Amino acid sequence: MAASQSYGPRPWTFYVLAALFALFVVFLYGPMIAVLVLSFQGPSASLVFPLREPSLLWFDELFNPRRVGDVVGAFNRSLPLAVMVMVLTVLISVTAGFAFRRRFKGSTAIFYMAIASLIVPGLVLSIGTLVTFRYLGLPAAWYSSALGSHLSWALPFGLLIMFAVLGRLDPSYEEAAHDLGATKWQTVKEVVVPIVFPGMIAVALFGFTLSYDEFPRSWLTVGSKNTLPLEIWTMTTNVTSPALYALGTVTTVISFIVIVAALSSIAVIQRKRSGRT
Amino acid sequence: MTPAPTANRSLLPTYLQVAPLTLVLVFFFAVPVVLVVIVSFLKYQMLVGIVAQFTLKNYADLLFNPTTWTLYLSTIKFTLIVLVITFVLGFWIAYFLVFHVRNLLTAIGLFLLCTIPFWTSNIIRMISWRPVLGREGLINSGLMKAGLIDQPIDWLLFSDFSVVVAYVHLFTLFMIVPIFNSMARIDKSLLEAAVDAGATRWGVVWNVVLPLSKTGIALGTLFVVTLVMGDFFVVTVMSGGLSGSATSGIFNDLQFLNYPRAAANAVILLIIVLLIAAAIFRLVDVRKELVR
Amino acid sequence: MNSIENPGDIRLVNLTKKFGASYAVENINLTIPHGSYCCLLGPSGCGKTTILRMIAGHETPTSGEIHIGGEMMVGKPPVERGTAMMFQSYALFPHLSILDNVAFYLKMRGVGKDERRQKAEEMLRRVQLISLKDRMPAQLSGGQQQRVALARSLITNPKVLLLDEPLSALDEFLRLKMRGELKSLQNELGITFVHVTHTQPEAIALANMVVVMDTGRIDQADTASIIFNRPKTPYVARFMGGQNVLTGTVEGSKAGRIRLKDARGAIFEAAAGDSTPAPGSPMSFAVRRDRIKLRKSGKGKAAANEIAGVVEATEYQGSYVKVTVDLGGGVFVANLPDGDYFADPVDKGDGVIASWNTADVNILTIVDTGAAGDPYVNAGH
Repeated sequence: MAASQSYGPRPWTFYVLAALFALFVVFLYGPMIAVLVLSFQGPSASLVFPLREPSLLWFDELFNPRRVGDVVGAFNRSLPLAVMVMVLTVLISVTAGFAFRRRFKGSTAIFYMAIASLIVPGLVLSIGTLVTFRYLGLPAAWYSSALGSHLSWALPFGLLIMFAVLGRLDPSYEEAAHDLGATKWQTVKEVVVPIVFPGMIAVALFGFTLSYDEFPRSWLTVGSKNTLPLEIWTMTTNVTSPALYALGTVTTVISFIVIVAALSSIAVIQRKRSGRT
Repeated sequence: MTPAPTANRSLLPTYLQVAPLTLVLVFFFAVPVVLVVIVSFLKYQMLVGIVAQFTLKNYADLLFNPTTWTLYLSTIKFTLIVLVITFVLGFWIAYFLVFHVRNLLTAIGLFLLCTIPFWTSNIIRMISWRPVLGREGLINSGLMKAGLIDQPIDWLLFSDFSVVVAYVHLFTLFMIVPIFNSMARIDKSLLEAAVDAGATRWGVVWNVVLPLSKTGIALGTLFVVTLVMGDFFVVTVMSGGLSGSATSGIFNDLQFLNYPRAAANAVILLIIVLLIAAAIFRLVDVRKELVR
Repeated sequence: MNSIENPGDIRLVNLTKKFGASYAVENINLTIPHGSYCCLLGPSGCGKTTILRMIAGHETPTSGEIHIGGEMMVGKPPVERGTAMMFQSYALFPHLSILDNVAFYLKMRGVGKDERRQKAEEMLRRVQLISLKDRMPAQLSGGQQQRVALARSLITNPKVLLLDEPLSALDEFLRLKMRGELKSLQNELGITFVHVTHTQPEAIALANMVVVMDTGRIDQADTASIIFNRPKTPYVARFMGGQNVLTGTVEGSKAGRIRLKDARGAIFEAAAGDSTPAPGSPMSFAVRRDRIKLRKSGKGKAAANEIAGVVEATEYQGSYVKVTVDLGGGVFVANLPDGDYFADPVDKGDGVIASWNTADVNILTIVDTGAAGDPYVNAGH
């Protein structure tokens, strides 16, 4: 109430834009919710509304490779891959972010290479990576070529986040630490890392989700065994049951768990620092 | 970037710190791209595979084949349509979040609300349009129940329409984020000064907000263009295989193991994308904007 | 100089700092005695903060020496110099509680958790913030944050405390309060304080040694009283005391007095001191604004140490009225006590004659090269 007293009444454009925003949110979440609901479809196996005899039947089907494909297997590759990409992205982006705080020869080239890696279509890099591995006589596999391909997509994101975070870091914190006797390493460990930790969580979030959901850069580089997105791709053509929706729900729930975990840890840290525990 | 406070120290730690990134990028970006370019000049023999002979046949095949042009035009058509829609949506949503939402925490919350879907699977988000747009989907059933139509609308799914809907659904966020970023940095007192000088609400947007969001718009455009042009699974799935794109041409060649021609096609695509990126980079100093 | 007796003694020898091709600080020579409160005073860009940071060890000199307590310190890290720095933004670690912030120094030295917390608590008691020890910096007011920053610095038992514009971020009321606290703290501790500021009243209130700086050089380093009453250069005269600076040509000296004549024929007289300037040479001098008398033109007889002009503006300042007089080629300011002003007020456009005593003429060691672009001409109080 106090706020609107000081700002005045809202103009008509506010209501128009608010409606637009609301529609956009419905647009974003609507289909996902539709899939969520339909995954509880009963034995009628109908792919559309209405929901008849809700059951967990189709979730069960996911464990049956003959009917739906190797879902469990694909999951057992996607998840560890995503975790590896997450860890590596944090380690590599954070250290590179620190490097970029100083001017050094080649920094521009590396920066543009990272940006280019974001821009170049994933399919092109997929082909190239496969060819590279063939040329070296190595087989393509989810833990080698796909891992590298995923990193080529996740690392630039991580780097950009670190740029934003480190760019906002007041240099006097490190000077104060130095003044109080901290060595370079102590300063990093006791002062810089704790302060930019929320940014590092964001990098981890990007690393995990970008890999877990990645399609084009996994396309040719996973070798003979699919990751989950690739498995889903095959299922879109083969599977005509709500099992596909069930899978969609499961994988989205997993993504949500990771997202909520990351965002809430950031929120908790910020609250603790502002003192409102 | 605020520089690290230092007395003069050697740059060795810096080079070591940036080494892993450089190695990964070189090995999984630079080298693959180079190899793609090389392979595009090699010969393909049916049943044999890649033959190490220099040839321009792949490019000739593609450039003189009208299908290639059709596919690229189709892709560019989609790109432009999606670009316009995502720009309008992205701009106004960012504008709403930055200038109309008064509580900062609410604005951040709403912003996160928009970004969360980004962190879930693209394919699933795409597929989830089926039960909505299909002949027996939500929209058709709803419209029929309301008596507005008596035949289900065919072109909602497996058409150009659904392709565009899917692209907008997936990629609007890439417009919202950079524009939001640019707008948030606009000094609010500039808007007040414009109003003081007699500008209407629209005048403020046209004369102050739009020019100052140029960087964000440019970056958003760059992302959307490269994502749409480089995509093949959205267009394939959502059009039911009816529409083609530049990448579906590549995809087909890959199915037949004709790597050289696929590579040549990829190189053509890459050149177009890079030209657009270069044009955008000329308008915006990306490094200054991103590294702050 | 025995370092044990004067551990907080600071000596800067030929100190220079270049950034690229430009000099931030050029050939500085300065001695700050142990236990003094020294203010480095000047506008932004004059190099005062650079000097502070070089003493601290956060900036390396391009050339020159820095001695603290008799020891050459260039090349040594800050923690080994016996100095502690208080940053302008306080730089309290946002992720640590107040207690942990203060205990940081001890943690870096490997002191055990219980011991360092206990020592930090003692320090917080001294600055009267013990009740807030578990709070986070974001929860504290500006003044409280500053006391925490002080505590954090003092726990290192420094011989020299370096303060980078410590009062700039505070509002007027707090600033005056903290000024008093800083002064009594320095008296109590007896260590050397080096305080960087751009505010002149702050400098003369706190310091027993004021160093006035201008674009990388020291213009004058003296006690506050000497700086204010006997500035050596036009810059110091204007910046410090908002004094009037006039220039004339020497006509001759006689009976301990120097006679000057300016371009428009006004005659000035000053006490000669021990100098005998050559006739014909130019000379500048300063007169305090509050030592000026004003009368309307046409009254009284013409005499030495007078100058005529037209009133350009008058500004009421409570206990005095600031009258700006246009000399037709320069500006002259008189701060008249309100009683004197209102006895015979002058207005814009009135012709006036300003006069002063010979005793209030302070000869400057360099000739004024023109105040036209000087931003401190009207730096008033």
